[in-house]
Amino acid sequence: MSSGLYLQMRGITKTYPENDVLANDEVDFEVRENEIHAVVGENGAGKTTLMKILYGLEQPDSGRILLKGEEVRIHSPLDANRLGIGMVHQHFRLIPEFTIAENVVLGIEPRRRGIFFDRERAVCGVEEVIRRYGFSIDPRLPVSRLTVGQMQLVEIIKILYREAELLILDEPTSVLTEQQIHKLFGTLENLRSIGKTVVIITHKLGEVKAISQRVTVMRKGEVVAVRDTAEVDERELSRLMVGKSVTFQFEREAVNKGRVVLELRDVVLRQKGQDRPLLDHVNLKVHAGEIVGVAGVSGNGLAELEDVVGGLRRVSQGRLLHDGRNITDLSAVQLRERGLAYVPADRLQRGSSLQSSVMENMIISSHHDFLQGGFFRRRAVEEFAETLSSSFSIDGDPRVPIGTLSGGNIQKVILARELASQSDFIIFSEPTWGLDIASAEFIYAKILEIRRRGIAVLLISSNLDEILALSDTLVVLYRGKVVASLSNERKLSKELVGEYMMGLRDDSRGAAAPSDNGPTETGPSESGPSPGEAS
Amino acid sequence: MNEQSFTFPLLHNAIGIMTPFLLAATGGLFTELAGMLNIALEGLMLIGAFFSVVFAGLTGSLVLGILLGVVSAVLAAALFAGVSLNLKANVFISGLATNLLASGLTIVLAFQLFGNKGVVRFEIPKLPSLMIPALARIPILGDLLIGHNILVYFSWLLVVLAALAIYRTPFGLRIRGTGLNAATIASLGLKPRRYQMAGILISGFTCGLAGAVLTLKLSAFVPNITSGRGWIALVAIYLGNKTPWGIVIASFIFGFAESLSNFAQGAINIPADFILAFPYLITVLAMIVYSIWRHYRARA
Amino acid sequence: MKRPHRADALLTGALGLLITLGISFLIAVILIFLLSKQPLTTIYYFFVGPFTNRYYFGNMLNTAIPLVFTGLGIAVAFKSSVFNLGGEGQVYSGALVATVILLALPQSSGYLGGPAALAAALATGAVLAGMSGFFKMKWGTDELISSFLISSAVIFIVNYFITGPLDDPSNSMLATRAVDKQYHFLGIFPPSKLDISAIFAMLAGVLVFFLMYYTHWGYEMRMCGLNREFSRYGGINVSTYVVLPMIISGALHGLAGGIAIMGTYHMAVKEFSYGMGWNGIAVALIAKNNPLGVLPAAVFFAYLDAGAKAAMLHSDVTFEIAAIVQSVIFYLITAQAIYSFLRRRKRSRP
Repeated sequence: MSSGLYLQMRGITKTYPENDVLANDEVDFEVRENEIHAVVGENGAGKTTLMKILYGLEQPDSGRILLKGEEVRIHSPLDANRLGIGMVHQHFRLIPEFTIAENVVLGIEPRRRGIFFDRERAVCGVEEVIRRYGFSIDPRLPVSRLTVGQMQLVEIIKILYREAELLILDEPTSVLTEQQIHKLFGTLENLRSIGKTVVIITHKLGEVKAISQRVTVMRKGEVVAVRDTAEVDERELSRLMVGKSVTFQFEREAVNKGRVVLELRDVVLRQKGQDRPLLDHVNLKVHAGEIVGVAGVSGNGLAELEDVVGGLRRVSQGRLLHDGRNITDLSAVQLRERGLAYVPADRLQRGSSLQSSVMENMIISSHHDFLQGGFFRRRAVEEFAETLSSSFSIDGDPRVPIGTLSGGNIQKVILARELASQSDFIIFSEPTWGLDIASAEFIYAKILEIRRRGIAVLLISSNLDEILALSDTLVVLYRGKVVASLSNERKLSKELVGEYMMGLRDDSRGAAAPSDNGPTETGPSESGPSPGEAS
Repeated sequence: MNEQSFTFPLLHNAIGIMTPFLLAATGGLFTELAGMLNIALEGLMLIGAFFSVVFAGLTGSLVLGILLGVVSAVLAAALFAGVSLNLKANVFISGLATNLLASGLTIVLAFQLFGNKGVVRFEIPKLPSLMIPALARIPILGDLLIGHNILVYFSWLLVVLAALAIYRTPFGLRIRGTGLNAATIASLGLKPRRYQMAGILISGFTCGLAGAVLTLKLSAFVPNITSGRGWIALVAIYLGNKTPWGIVIASFIFGFAESLSNFAQGAINIPADFILAFPYLITVLAMIVYSIWRHYRARA
Repeated sequence: MKRPHRADALLTGALGLLITLGISFLIAVILIFLLSKQPLTTIYYFFVGPFTNRYYFGNMLNTAIPLVFTGLGIAVAFKSSVFNLGGEGQVYSGALVATVILLALPQSSGYLGGPAALAAALATGAVLAGMSGFFKMKWGTDELISSFLISSAVIFIVNYFITGPLDDPSNSMLATRAVDKQYHFLGIFPPSKLDISAIFAMLAGVLVFFLMYYTHWGYEMRMCGLNREFSRYGGINVSTYVVLPMIISGALHGLAGGIAIMGTYHMAVKEFSYGMGWNGIAVALIAKNNPLGVLPAAVFFAYLDAGAKAAMLHSDVTFEIAAIVQSVIFYLITAQAIYSFLRRRKRSRP
């Protein structure tokens, strides 16, 4: 039935040539008129790619797009705008120094006598849009003075001003407080009742239940299910999103826990401009010989946890302790001196210097060891590099720039370097992201080996299979809070962990049952009424 | 020389002297707002200086001279822009290249055309001065504002036009947007490169005029007549906090300093060189104070 | 095989450089044909002139010497991703300070005077550039602009001293007294002005190379220049490496001034060092910021100057055509489009 269908995307396929990833695999996607349609999936499921194609930011390798039954070609955001498609990106495209009205009309400014910017008409026009949709905000305010929720509203006003009929919102609630989310949903429902169609990309299942009429689930580049929201519960959605468990071919011996090597006590991380804390009273303990896995959907505090433990970001509150000693305010330099080993998620920017040689990358933290009277003993460095390369099966000449190596080999270099330091504690963040199976298994073997040697391991990853296979203790972060800290002796189920990751379960608030069909699982709002929200 | 009769010529001269700074800085402001560092102001001014007086000499007309001088400067600016934006060269280095090219080219051409590497005089009409009665009637400042040559008054007009363009037109909005956040501009379907190019070409236009002021006043071309004025203009942009009115004040400070250094001999005890160095030092100081303020504000 | 990658990159770089220089020479030839009534003679003297006798050749090498120091100064800064734009003022003030010390020392100071003067020149440059580095480190003040501003102010101040209190009325120039004969560097290639500071220049090139590639300061500087985030992650104190490269850069520039005085000029003449700073930038760029490459790059630059001078003396063109050729080199040397064009062509070939 194509009547009532506002949008149809048929057979969309897209591969990114840079890393040979099949982002969209023969995807069929339909949105009915006047509905709010949610698209859910884990990171890398392909939902953002699909929306980028719809908005003209990417071109599909094959497939068709039909709007109201007619085929269209969307080559750029301008085309999309002209067809009535507007997109609110996850990261705002606003100029803080300009006013709301200026940001909204930029590019299609109303003119007086052809050359002058008719500021009055711009303000009036924006005010008219604001009034028509029932918002309340002064278009003369500079964007720099707005809260994050208000900035998002400006993005929405931007596309309504351009008369969008189909609105796409990419992870709109990731930076909002509970109250702001409430407001946003009210707005979306309003827009729907006036006749707009909304597509919302999210991984928050509670919100899917709260706002959408239908939901499409994507996994690994494919559409795995399309359901009416009323007829599916969050548990089932979660199961559809994470899929079946993949078991890795190795055995994990019983854990032999030693002393507490690393501890986070009541750590809070706040950032200017963000309304809720990025890390919210996090408590964590890692023992010697133990692997603590931290799971979560990206955007919920994993990256911030990595930055804080790695010494690259200062906490706002709380303490970090190493062997009982306070290391909270130590810089990265000092942490390294204390023996911190750290394999970062960002291999190419943080973990290595692409233009430097493999050799020079390997000695970044340990180069002082190769000095003799201030001068480098080149031969010693070369021997060191060659030894590491062979024990980690890295091919090639250590004198070449590391950027010429494959992703797997770059990660091996980083791993080799970090493991070579005689540390008693190591952090891994997304260690096998983007790697082939062989490299991934190599890395898992190494991680288990150091666990056997009694080193404390903190493993941060959004890859659930990996976390479940390796962790002794499993911690889940949701919106910056630890919502679960479970023993993984008897293997936890993926479904259960998935529920924590999606915010359906929360051990920090006592018994919290997952909701089926009811309102969002917000309960008493943690952030309280926000003082002085202007809109 | 008593005090009274000393301050008047000092200030009056300062207003005349500040004109090239003002013109060059106003054009350079557009480049700066578009987010690009423009150190070619010196070279562009030199091109304008040379070609305006040469063409004026060839055609006998001041107007044609100014026009063609400006066109030459715009062409040089186009070269600078093309290499920086299309060939993706480092904008700072290509700016240096432009200055070097201007300095070499003008002397080579002067030698080739006039057989002379020194001062080349031309038989051209002098730049007319204007005595505008309306201005003369302004209290206190009135006498200082009259009696300048037409290009001085034109520069004032240009500053007003520039301010209008920057703050009251879509073009101004977009060029400022390009400098503040080029990615946002691109996401709206606009092309940041176009606005950067426009910024550079506008600076060519005003620098051409600035150069014309220098040579047409003397009816001669002196090698390296700009002697650092383009750099001063760049500093004026920063000292004036990248706004048209700030640039007016900053240009006046530099104009005043130069005028003062001319009068310094015998009248004041400060050596001329120190007076000339002074504006640079206060700019550095202002920059440092601003950085400190910004640094502690971000920490809060 | 990984080796071809590295050779590949070198080849693209070398090819790009060759294209740049080739175009520049072509422009030189075109200019000569346009401007000269005896183009072939002019071309001969422009390209071959500097090699035709000891005087030209030696002077050419002599002109290169300060460029080696300023080129090294810029190379160190660029490799660490900091920008020292105050080279002109650092050279000039270093020269003045050296001159003042040498003039103030009595004859009997023997071998102490020279090193003292050079050390002072070095320190002057180091302090001037170091200030900008410090402001950048502490408060994020843009070092490119602050170093330029400080240098501009300093140039005026030095001018004042040379034309005022230190001016020697007995010589007809705006210059100080000449320093004592014992502080003149020994000439090694008469009748040209080439002196033993040529050896210092070569030593400096080797030392800086050693510094950058064989010491831990050099390693840390280069890592900070290539990837600041990685360096911070790896435990390098990145804020130190905003100041240190500026200090070293300023020191080299100051030293250039001192050496120019003791080697060639023997007195501080008003604005005698103009261009040494700016040309140092060109030299560093041609050498791709490699300290060893600075030596031939400086000679090449001096060669352009010398060729133009020879052409001027023996033919009918003016010296400034060298500036035009140099500007073309400047334009093309950082034109990334050339290199990406070459890389793309390499990829498309089977």
